[in-house]
Amino acid sequence: MSPEPLLEVRGLVKRFGGFRALDGVSFHLASGEVLGLVGPNGSGKTTCINVISGLYAPDGGAVVFEGRSIGGTRSHLLARGGINRTFQSPKPFLSLSVRENVEIAATYGNTGEPVDLPTLLASLELDRHAEHPAGDLNSAQQKTLDLARALATRPRLLLVDELAAGLNPAELGRMADRLRGLADDGMALLVVEHLMGFIDKVTDRVIVMNAGREIFEGTLGEATRDPTVVQVFLGGHVPA
Amino acid sequence: MRRTVGRRGTGDLLIALVVTAIMAALPFGYSNELLLFNFVTFLALSQGLNVLYGFTGYLPFGYVGFFGAGAYGFALTVMHLNWPPLAAMAAAGVAALILAAILTPLLRLSGAYFAIASLAAAQSVYEIVANPALEDVTKGPYGVSLSGVFAPMFSYQVGVAVLLFSLVVVVWLRNSRFGLALQAIREDTVSAAMAGVSVVRGRTIAWLLSALIAGLVGGVYAWHISVFYPDTAFNIQFSIFATVFVLFGGATTLIGPILGVVILYGVYNTIGITVPQYFQLIYGVLIVALVLFLPNGLVSLATRRGIRVP
Amino acid sequence: MLTHALFGGLLFGLYFTLVGLGLNLIFGVMRIVNLAHGDFLMLGAFAAYWLFTLFGLHPLVAAVAVLVVFVLVGLPIYYLIVPRLLVSRDSEMLSIILFFGLSQIIEALASIFFGTTERSIPGRVLGTGPVRILGQSVPSAWAFGAAVSAVAVILVYLYLYRTRLGTLTRAVMVSRDEALATGIDVHRVSAIAFGIGIALAGIAGVFEPFMLGSVTPAIGGDITIAAFAVIVVGTLGNPLGTVLGGIVYGVSLLLMQTYLSSWANLLPNLLLIGVLLIRPEGLLGRQVRRA
Repeated sequence: MSPEPLLEVRGLVKRFGGFRALDGVSFHLASGEVLGLVGPNGSGKTTCINVISGLYAPDGGAVVFEGRSIGGTRSHLLARGGINRTFQSPKPFLSLSVRENVEIAATYGNTGEPVDLPTLLASLELDRHAEHPAGDLNSAQQKTLDLARALATRPRLLLVDELAAGLNPAELGRMADRLRGLADDGMALLVVEHLMGFIDKVTDRVIVMNAGREIFEGTLGEATRDPTVVQVFLGGHVPA
Repeated sequence: MRRTVGRRGTGDLLIALVVTAIMAALPFGYSNELLLFNFVTFLALSQGLNVLYGFTGYLPFGYVGFFGAGAYGFALTVMHLNWPPLAAMAAAGVAALILAAILTPLLRLSGAYFAIASLAAAQSVYEIVANPALEDVTKGPYGVSLSGVFAPMFSYQVGVAVLLFSLVVVVWLRNSRFGLALQAIREDTVSAAMAGVSVVRGRTIAWLLSALIAGLVGGVYAWHISVFYPDTAFNIQFSIFATVFVLFGGATTLIGPILGVVILYGVYNTIGITVPQYFQLIYGVLIVALVLFLPNGLVSLATRRGIRVP
Repeated sequence: MLTHALFGGLLFGLYFTLVGLGLNLIFGVMRIVNLAHGDFLMLGAFAAYWLFTLFGLHPLVAAVAVLVVFVLVGLPIYYLIVPRLLVSRDSEMLSIILFFGLSQIIEALASIFFGTTERSIPGRVLGTGPVRILGQSVPSAWAFGAAVSAVAVILVYLYLYRTRLGTLTRAVMVSRDEALATGIDVHRVSAIAFGIGIALAGIAGVFEPFMLGSVTPAIGGDITIAAFAVIVVGTLGNPLGTVLGGIVYGVSLLLMQTYLSSWANLLPNLLLIGVLLIRPEGLLGRQVRRA
């Protein structure tokens, strides 16, 4: 028995000029579930996240969140409504302190229970830097701050765009545990990632995308045995 | 945490009140009241520019457009409708707000495009107001005379009230969640939106507040000098001076623009203004040097060392 | 009357192509807005005035002299200012403030050395009476301005597309970072483009007293707005799009002067705001707007 989906994406289309970045993508995601989105560069993964998070309005199809159609809703309203995301290259508010960065999100983006900021910062090991300007953080710390900013809005759906890139192995492990922990607490996560080890550790299920379309859905293990997937990833040379 | 914010806010407010009290008291001990009024004008105008540039990052080269709109909003209601000065002051603010509302689409432009488009907008308003074809309404290029409401001391104190308003707005922005949200928008609009901040709403409010301050300053300026021309009210020098004062002292702070006005406008007046070219030269050199060596203003000498500046 | 306005506007607009060309070249290569552009143009106009008044030099000779001197002046200005600017976090914003300061310096120095009175060069220097082209009679100065502009556009085209340095310049225009990564001496390429951009302003300035009547140290600001309007209409960062921008500007200005003369001064400002808001990428495309 599958739980009621929190997010349902149906036939999503996004065009840039004549280029179809998303060409009819459909999937669903339940609370507490982690769905991986993998595929070669330019296959539409980040575009998918950008449309769901309100950065772009879709050109076709539907995004349904908690039973309501949210396609084209503006980002700040989605943030208040329980959807948030991280960015591949995070752009924190550099001249503001780490604490202020997170405080803004907790003030404007969180409509539920108040967030315990000190605990949140401590859990992400940002507490030592709380009063420093975000511009003083290194890039791995800025990525963590970006995650903290997203979490401060208490999202029920979190879209994670290449959070692992640039982290060292120890940090990778901790980040994977962190994301799993969020899912165990009931959050739904959509994770875009190139590092297959990370995907393997974090996700329950993956969707493989190519050229704006979904070409496979299942576990990562099954994906690696699927001939179409192998062909897309290895450029036509199916290993014997 | 919230207590520190509260205490800082009280300190900032104290500074605002002290500055206001000094400016209110000075004419009783110093006779050159026109010079003092110019100080009040620039103190308030700089804070108004600070509201927009310091907190949202939009640099309005055409800021004088709101000042001029305020001056003419005041003048036209006095001339044509015989409004009393205080009612005409409200008209000055409304005139600037209307202009700002019309120009709101400019906020869609980024950095340099916004700066230049706002300058072009101010020039357009000037061309319209100064056009001989509108002589019946605006007196065209021939200027207006408001001698009927001339009241130097009263208008001076109203100017001080406008100054207090501009200072309080900045104190509020520096100590409120909303001010923080504006700075988030300045740093990155996409991240700000994902933090739940309404980008369009935030910057529109800052834009209107900034315009309102300039309009009120323009209105009280018109009242105080009582005879002026479009070339006076839309003089680009108002934009230049306000920008330089804010940059010199340090944007986003309360005392940065105050330092800028007191030091630079003070120097400007003590050395003398008989040869304006030399001052234009000094200001030009100052702007270039600031951008190259001290892009965050005088206050950055302290903030760089981790000292909080009000 | 309409054909005359259209034809005159075409010639006048070709001159305004020259007015905008240097600004656009500098923006295209360095992504910085030279707000002192109109002031460099003003200096070119004064150079033409003094060279004619003191030595009786023909504007064409003055133009060549201005070209050489301005390129040589532009190089050190570039190295003093621009490399420092480009490494800062918000170089576009800082550049606009800095060049605004530079424009104040130039205007002040010009006022100090040349005085604030209006200067003009007798129109007969460029030939007496109107010339007839294609059955239309136009002031000879306009024909001159348009011809010089056409030559300048062709030379810039040849530089960009037929020389090695020009190829490198186009590479920097496409992507400064990529160009840097491939080992191009980006600063040398940019410095030369900066010099050429300023020299183009200077040459446009040489003909300014003939096209607009007179020169004072204060004309810089309005000229910069007009030049910016031309290149925004044309397409920012595409020097050759400037031709289109100039012609649109010239034709609409003459139409305004013919049919709505008292409001003609509004045109550059409204054109600029209108295009930025309605079609910010210019008539030939490219994104400049945010959120």
